[in-house]
Amino acid sequence: MVNWNNVAWFLRGSKTGRTLVEFYPSACMVLAFLVLTFPLLAGGGWPQPKGYGYFKLSEWWIVADQHYTDAGRIDPNITNGLFNTNLYAEYGFTDRLTGILFFPLFSRNYFNNEVSGTTGEVIKVGEDLNSIGDANLGFKYGLTKPGSAVAISTTLTLGLPLGESAGGTEGNLQTGDGEFNQMLQVDAGVSFGSSETPLYANAFFGANNRTNDFSDELRYGIEFGAGLANQKLWLIGRVQGITSLKNGKEPSEVSSASIFSNNAEILNAGAEVNYYLTKMLGISAGFAAPLSGEIIFAAPAYTVGVFYDMKK
Amino acid sequence: MDPEVRIVNPIDTLALGSNYEFLYRYFDQTGLETELPGGIWSSDNPSAISITTDGFATGVSIGSALISVQIQSENGSDVRAEHLVHVGATTSSTNTLRKGSLRSTSSYKLQGDFTAEQMGSMVILSFEANYEASSSLPGLYAYLTNNPNSVNNAFEIGAVEIFKGAHTYEIENISLNDYSHLLYYCKPFRVKVGDGELE
Repeated sequence: MVNWNNVAWFLRGSKTGRTLVEFYPSACMVLAFLVLTFPLLAGGGWPQPKGYGYFKLSEWWIVADQHYTDAGRIDPNITNGLFNTNLYAEYGFTDRLTGILFFPLFSRNYFNNEVSGTTGEVIKVGEDLNSIGDANLGFKYGLTKPGSAVAISTTLTLGLPLGESAGGTEGNLQTGDGEFNQMLQVDAGVSFGSSETPLYANAFFGANNRTNDFSDELRYGIEFGAGLANQKLWLIGRVQGITSLKNGKEPSEVSSASIFSNNAEILNAGAEVNYYLTKMLGISAGFAAPLSGEIIFAAPAYTVGVFYDMKK
Repeated sequence: MDPEVRIVNPIDTLALGSNYEFLYRYFDQTGLETELPGGIWSSDNPSAISITTDGFATGVSIGSALISVQIQSENGSDVRAEHLVHVGATTSSTNTLRKGSLRSTSSYKLQGDFTAEQMGSMVILSFEANYEASSSLPGLYAYLTNNPNSVNNAFEIGAVEIFKGAHTYEIENISLNDYSHLLYYCKPFRVKVGDGELE
């Protein structure tokens, strides 16, 4: 028989979607050739219970020497990297209303030296930019009662442009995109499986309204998770996508030197493992790899972290 | 890329009985112009045009000759350039126009024919109506270069602001033979988009 309490606690408590935030640090944080931001899916369809929360400190990074072009093909580029140290928090104000904060405490964007393939001479010295990153502030509201067979919630996320949008001598280093965006998303999740192996599935769909002539976006994803080893170990797989409505300005028109190109799209597949060291404290690791895209880096992103999961 | 020696002041016709000094410039395997003395000039028809080894030509009789310059590169290989010259009534050059076609060397769209014309100290770079470039890249720039693989030592024309159709650039204080290629390059991402040889 399924131990629904365990499944529900895991879903509410941590894994579902929370790693989306880590893989795609904020709704503003993605670079045209770096990462695309994904919405806060935090907790999937399950809000936090009143007075309980989930907190995570993680490191997320991507290093890419190729990207998807506007035709969806892969071309090379100078090696570019982004490393973020992120704080993530969820807290249940009521059994249906959860507050969510994603804050990149430290964000580092760099590109390598450009070296002549003929002479080995350094043509352009690499540069870096270090700052805080763009943050997300969100509110999730449960549309269904706690304990419902299908948990449905809606989340409003505000992308706060706290990072730098034009660093380096060419203005091509960014830890943020300089635009304030608002995203509304709906999640639906179900729990199933057995008490020995609880399972869950969650799907989301969101619309992201972007400012400063950036194109609006549709975001979507599905996720499956399984609890093993008496629910100490949770394995997660997910597929997520972003489709641009391409109703903003062309990248060439937004900023002549901006790395935050517009009209980026991506379809990603990822996996993650979470392990509870104690009842509340755990560690996690995961990756996400692009399956297709446009005007975005073609490289996997990785994350490792430690989390604290308040349990009833 | 291979080193190149380039005749920088070619003429089409040399006046009978007059003299003309040909000049060359040498570009190494990176496209960098390098001072390299020792170029040897020659004529394949000295009865029409005679030329000294250091480039002073004389129109001897009505006819034509292939004028050549050869130099040994830093790595020991022979590099050569040649130009057909006729002997006539006046010394003249119609070599004030070069043309070419853009091609994409990436997955981004870049196409179109262009001409480069010397107008005094200015070069007018004109693109035909079939020109088209991708507007999906931030920071697409156009360059004139002697190495189509790099913007190193290239002349930056400027940010590309027209992505379709005929248009022109007026480039001051350069010579038509200073560069061999047009280069389109995404500056922020250091991505070569495409090029076109000035023929």
